[in-house]
Amino acid sequence: MRTKAPFFFLAPYLFLFALFWAWPILYSFYLSFLNTRVYPWHLEPAVNWGRLLQDPFFWVALKNTLFILAVQVPLMLALALLLALALNSALLRLKGFYRFAFFAPVVVGAVAYSAVFRLLFNTEFGAVNALLRALGHPGYDWLYTPGPAMAVIVLALTWRWTGYNAIILLAGLQSIPRELYEAASLDGAGPWHQFWHVTLPGLRPVLVFALVLSIIGTLQLFTEPFLITGGGPGNATMTLGVYLYQQGFRSFNFGYASAIAYTVALLAAGFSFLQMRLWRER
Amino acid sequence: MKARLLAVAALLGLAWAQNTALKGEITVWSWDIAAKALEAVVPSFNKLYPNVKVKVVDLGNQQVFDRGLAGCAAGGADLPDVYSVENNEAEVFWNRFPDCFTDLTALGANQLRKDFPEFKWTELTMGNKVFAIPWDSGPVVIFYRRDLYQKAGIDPNKIATWDDFIAAGKKMLQATGGKVKMGTIANGQDDEWFRMLANQNACFYFNNQGTAVTVNQPGCVRALDTIKKLADAGVVAFGGWNEQIQYIKASAVASAMFGAWYEGTIRTNAPDQAGKWGVFLMPASQKGGVRAANLGGSALAIPASSKNKEAAWAFVKHALATTEGQITMLKEYGLVPSYLPALNDPYVKKPQPYWGNQPIWELILGTLGKIPPARGTQYFQEARQIMTAVQADFLAGKYKTAQEALDAAAKQISQATGLPIGK
Repeated sequence: MRTKAPFFFLAPYLFLFALFWAWPILYSFYLSFLNTRVYPWHLEPAVNWGRLLQDPFFWVALKNTLFILAVQVPLMLALALLLALALNSALLRLKGFYRFAFFAPVVVGAVAYSAVFRLLFNTEFGAVNALLRALGHPGYDWLYTPGPAMAVIVLALTWRWTGYNAIILLAGLQSIPRELYEAASLDGAGPWHQFWHVTLPGLRPVLVFALVLSIIGTLQLFTEPFLITGGGPGNATMTLGVYLYQQGFRSFNFGYASAIAYTVALLAAGFSFLQMRLWRER
Repeated sequence: MKARLLAVAALLGLAWAQNTALKGEITVWSWDIAAKALEAVVPSFNKLYPNVKVKVVDLGNQQVFDRGLAGCAAGGADLPDVYSVENNEAEVFWNRFPDCFTDLTALGANQLRKDFPEFKWTELTMGNKVFAIPWDSGPVVIFYRRDLYQKAGIDPNKIATWDDFIAAGKKMLQATGGKVKMGTIANGQDDEWFRMLANQNACFYFNNQGTAVTVNQPGCVRALDTIKKLADAGVVAFGGWNEQIQYIKASAVASAMFGAWYEGTIRTNAPDQAGKWGVFLMPASQKGGVRAANLGGSALAIPASSKNKEAAWAFVKHALATTEGQITMLKEYGLVPSYLPALNDPYVKKPQPYWGNQPIWELILGTLGKIPPARGTQYFQEARQIMTAVQADFLAGKYKTAQEALDAAAKQISQATGLPIGK
């Protein structure tokens, strides 16, 4: 009897977990083998998984997602690292204020900030084009040409998440023992050497953590492309998340949407595994 | 004579008694101008049915669709009594959730069959069941700038085919030093020109039974070929919804082709161009060919979960199947009626000042009976997304011929929908 008591205390949580997490996860796996384009739904395993391989839109979405992964994530983490170093510097005053200021974008509602970005990058009336025109450049049709539209998404993501990652990295920086730096400077290591041989190795676990979080976040990316560009123009900024939504809730094809969702999950797991392997403590 | 009057009075009295017997509140979901238009017919409805309170809720177009699907998926929870649905998107509901909406034949929908053009019914019926009543429609016409056409020496009455249109476009380029084009084609954002031209040629993504993909058949090939010819001749600009409006405002285009509901868009966006605009029929693909097509349009349905179906039906009938209801919506919000008896209303023949005093509605509504039917099917959105990409690729030179491009489109649509490619 004594051993069962904890389960009673856990029961409300376990119940909610089973209902809202475990069941949907298992059910959507089952759904991915159903043909949900017809009424009533029926089992037809090849219909979604087979389509995935031949569907040009899925590949476009995957390509866009991987592009953001390869360009935006390293850019953002490099910026975050610089920011963290600056925030950690002994020379900086008003540290608390800056930390708050750089973290603030995460607190802003995604819908509100997306609307502001749409305004900033409006072709005719946006502040960005006004600035470009003042500098003698005709400006871009930001939201309606493929390259610039992708640039807006990358900028928006970077604006929102750099501060967040900087705070994580800052915590990592502060956990590196002071003595290491003392010892290094006694041995005659300059600031560059200290950064390279003390700071970076000490920061590695936190960096990996930030990287894995960012990669998973990017693979699921939905909010910004959906709200700022709608995945357009054409399919130029359509990510896996946006395509999943279109299939699931616009075309009401839950089976195919589930197959896409599981592909995203597999990709995330694969990437994370690779990260851990590559960056494993030696 | 007296007996007759008495009989009429008795009948009227009976009708009145029935009307007042309908009571309660009904909720109507709709969007933007469509919601306002429905609101505008409430006063005349309440004169006939004083005890029914109508609550029109403007949720926005996408929200109505999304919440409708969610409600149907939840077995009819939280749905209104009257539901607005775009014709093109309607079949998702009837196909995936056949029990979610009321079969209106039980309420007498079959008596209205002849009052609406056949093409409006294709997407609203399944077998013998009628799930929605046609509302507005989008007969396609060309809107043109009288002053710019005149300056270039183009007579719109002489433009009968797309070849004539292209020749006129070359004249326009010459007269304006290449600054003014004949229209704006969405490329990469949408495929609406393809849909209009295909419909004109009696071709569409799918056959009218919704059982096969037909996007690679001759009528559609001709449509895509025409688009390519227009692009190659340099007589059209490219751009999505917003650019199209910008070009109109900036007088960078001398015409636009759309469903007639675009009338209000031009009028409200370019008030300073009043009197300079006119309308003519869309050119045919060959001499003597069809000069009509449809783009867009909506319908009203009654969810099966409605607690007050009689009142909902009375409202739907009053709004859509009376000349009074339809002309009110046309007058106040430019919604193009599909109710055929409304075509005889004197307002239709009235000259419109913005359009150079041309009686445009007579011309526009006159095409209603000539529009070939087309079926969006439940897969409309997916087919449209695919076709949009294929059209952009074709214009960018990725395919050698229109046939090759459309064969590729047909293959993709077939994969996405599971429907076979038609023979």
